[in-house]
Amino acid sequence: MARGFVSEGRRFLRDPALLGAVVILWLLLALFVLYPLFELLVRAFSDEGKFTAQPLLDGIADPSNRAAFVNSLILATAVGVMGTLLGFLFALTATRAGLGRRWLTLLDATALLPLVSPPFTTSIAIIFSFGPKGFISHHLLGFDNVSAYGFWSTALAETLTYFPIGYLTLRPILAAIDPNLEEMAFSLGGSRWRIFRTVTVPLCVPGFANTFLLLFAASLADFATPLILAGNSFAVLPTQAFLQITGMFDFKGGAVLSLMLLVPAAAVFLLQRYWVGRRVYVTVTGKVGQRSRTRAMAPGASVGLVVACALVAIVIVYFYALLVYASFVVAFGANETFTWRHYGVIFTEGLPAIRDTLIIALVGMPLGGFYGVLVGYLLARRRFPGRRAMEIVTIINYALPGTIVGIAYLMAFNDPPIALTGGMLIIVACYVFRYSPTGIRATVALLQQIDRSLEEASSSLGAGSGETFRRVTLPLIVPAFFAGLGVVFIRSMTAISATIFLVSISWTLITVRILENMTELALGPAAAFSVFVIVVVFAVVWGLSAVLARFRAPTAGAAARSLLGG
Amino acid sequence: MKLLRFLAIAAIGWMSGLAAAQAADPVNVYSIWPENYARPMFEEFEKATGIKVNFIRFSSGEALARVIAEKNNPRIDVLFGGPVETFAAGIKEGIFAPYKSPSFDKLPARFKHADGQWTAIADDPLVFMTNAAFLKSKGLQAPASWDDLLNPAYKNQLQMADARTSGTAVTRIFSVLEVNKRDEEKSFAYLKKLRQNVQVYTKSGGGGTLPVGLGQAGGGIFFIVDALETKAKGYDVVISFPKEGIGSSAEAIALIKGAKNPEGGKKLIDFATSAAMQSKLAAHKVNFVPANPDVKTEASLAAVLKDAKVFPIDDEYAGANRKRIVDRWIKEVLGSQ
Repeated sequence: MARGFVSEGRRFLRDPALLGAVVILWLLLALFVLYPLFELLVRAFSDEGKFTAQPLLDGIADPSNRAAFVNSLILATAVGVMGTLLGFLFALTATRAGLGRRWLTLLDATALLPLVSPPFTTSIAIIFSFGPKGFISHHLLGFDNVSAYGFWSTALAETLTYFPIGYLTLRPILAAIDPNLEEMAFSLGGSRWRIFRTVTVPLCVPGFANTFLLLFAASLADFATPLILAGNSFAVLPTQAFLQITGMFDFKGGAVLSLMLLVPAAAVFLLQRYWVGRRVYVTVTGKVGQRSRTRAMAPGASVGLVVACALVAIVIVYFYALLVYASFVVAFGANETFTWRHYGVIFTEGLPAIRDTLIIALVGMPLGGFYGVLVGYLLARRRFPGRRAMEIVTIINYALPGTIVGIAYLMAFNDPPIALTGGMLIIVACYVFRYSPTGIRATVALLQQIDRSLEEASSSLGAGSGETFRRVTLPLIVPAFFAGLGVVFIRSMTAISATIFLVSISWTLITVRILENMTELALGPAAAFSVFVIVVVFAVVWGLSAVLARFRAPTAGAAARSLLGG
Repeated sequence: MKLLRFLAIAAIGWMSGLAAAQAADPVNVYSIWPENYARPMFEEFEKATGIKVNFIRFSSGEALARVIAEKNNPRIDVLFGGPVETFAAGIKEGIFAPYKSPSFDKLPARFKHADGQWTAIADDPLVFMTNAAFLKSKGLQAPASWDDLLNPAYKNQLQMADARTSGTAVTRIFSVLEVNKRDEEKSFAYLKKLRQNVQVYTKSGGGGTLPVGLGQAGGGIFFIVDALETKAKGYDVVISFPKEGIGSSAEAIALIKGAKNPEGGKKLIDFATSAAMQSKLAAHKVNFVPANPDVKTEASLAAVLKDAKVFPIDDEYAGANRKRIVDRWIKEVLGSQ
């Protein structure tokens, strides 16, 4: 690799800071992105040291694997469609229904709740609300013998968990549509419905496509929800891969299932990034935050929208209220006496998990933030050989479903020479390289709006690239730095799909404890842990937003949004 | 760049500091017993010996998979708890180091591996557990035969463990095999019929107990320890036994080959196989049946088991056939509708 760089221009070589940064980054990327993926491919394609596609072909030929593959696609499509609709509903209400600032804040808070929560919260709530003796299905609606397991409950839980991504994507697009367009159509005599149909919706089409693909990818990668809710007649790939490896110790089978998952995930990612993603970018640019007038919406329609949103918001709030309730009663459903016991449990027996998670999150946070800013800066501002390749490689772990990343890490780092399993570093590295692309994107977006001449002035006054970066660029991209920090922190507190493979005796995670608690009938501690995570994450998000608000850079808002959208 | 270097150095320094701080002499353990059962036992051990136990809990399949995966570079000293089938499967992978504790000779043959690859610390019969309100609403008696569970009244109402991850499930499947005199065709025909009434197969053995307690499910097949725990929490459930008999699995402990702290590990095995630990089970409301003959089964537990027909699972037969039977179960039972 180094030889390739040498052949490039002298300027690159004369800039030791740039050269050093690029070389170090490539080494890190090779170790934590390319090597694990390579190990996974080797495992899937080799048999006693020889290359063979047989395991993969066998895997594809296995009818239960094929069923899981099809199920995954069906589920992802359903979640994509329903989540896009729900996100659009919320975005439309936020931008067109003429809500006051306070109501908007409330709407935002409910919509964001699912995004910053541990992954099982919705699943737990659904089981207790919609099971055969569920609170809603049985006590409220009187149904008997409803199953809480299967396609619909999984799709519903994932939709409620991921629709905020749709909301965050569509809201700026709707806000950016020039109100004059709608107004012109109105004054030309079009009905409001007709305008909505022929002006507003068509302008959102790239946004819809983008949202659909993001939700599709999120569902494809989701492992926790199906594990709890899918039951046994609706198997999906990430869960199958997990059971194959942890239950059957079939690394090869797990690798094969992961590869089957890789194909649609990669396809969706490339589609989103190189086709839809660009179009949306052009539509949004420079218009973020502008609010249209409320005239384009009939009063009746506004009320309808608000009511629909309120209903969804009530369901979400109800789910979380149930969780809080379960954390405060002795035994949910049997002995509903108030108790602090479960919080006692998580702060005594659960304390190592809390401590480990916080340490991991706090170590990963600055590393992830700095890494994101550095890579973003290099990609947006510097020319060096292999820049494009670096952009793609930095995004691999983000685009891959967590199950694949976790399995690949487990395979790559279990045995010497690079034995990292059992330590903290492997979990931190997993989070940093998986969740920093949000920080990278935020940095790139921010830098595109800052005039290059500032940095050129610094260079021409004799500062080296390191000094220019530190004293000129870095202060300008502080908002992106905090966005990167925030995402890594949030995901370190809430993610499970990759890191469930990486926990060990010395380093465990709250999310893994929650899953354990749930599978061993300790619902109280599981609920208490979840409430704790939500409170901490909300506090940190609030703190970071307050910091971001101080930097009144033009894209601070975008950075804040990407804080949650990643 | 200085900042990056500084951060890297600081991070490495900090982590190596942590590694040094952990270099005392604790025993590292994967526990298959749920935390609420295992923790008090480890605390008793620490009280008795001053040795701390670091542990993390996994389902038996997960724990076994981990230990096998870590074979070249073991992360733990002792595998604690979990049905002997799991240990029998582990022997084939060569992951244990034989060790005979002072209690070894006292134990009946079914509670130890002849070479000391594992030793039993408790016995755990399976039971049928049903929700009392569910039985009443359907006008049913508590199930008293394996065939009672095939009653259409239980359609979509049973929860039990998934054999891919849970030793409870493996013990259950081998119970069915024993009841059917190891006739696999007959056994699988039964299991497939039972599948019709199963709402969901859970990842861990106790996973279905809470849903049954809450009435989300009508009943299921669980280890007695989990069933009694559900009852103790205040859920109105009924425990019953099939007249044909039901399997009981010894819960075992084993030393890991290549353990970094074998001395500490042996001390934990000495403690767990002795009356010192097993006499504390009842005090901590952990309803395993003690394996050590010096410890009396606690009265209320003995009362539950009084008329039950319980047989041990033959660990040699189970160990030799586990993988094949589980694979068949996945293919023919789990996948079928």
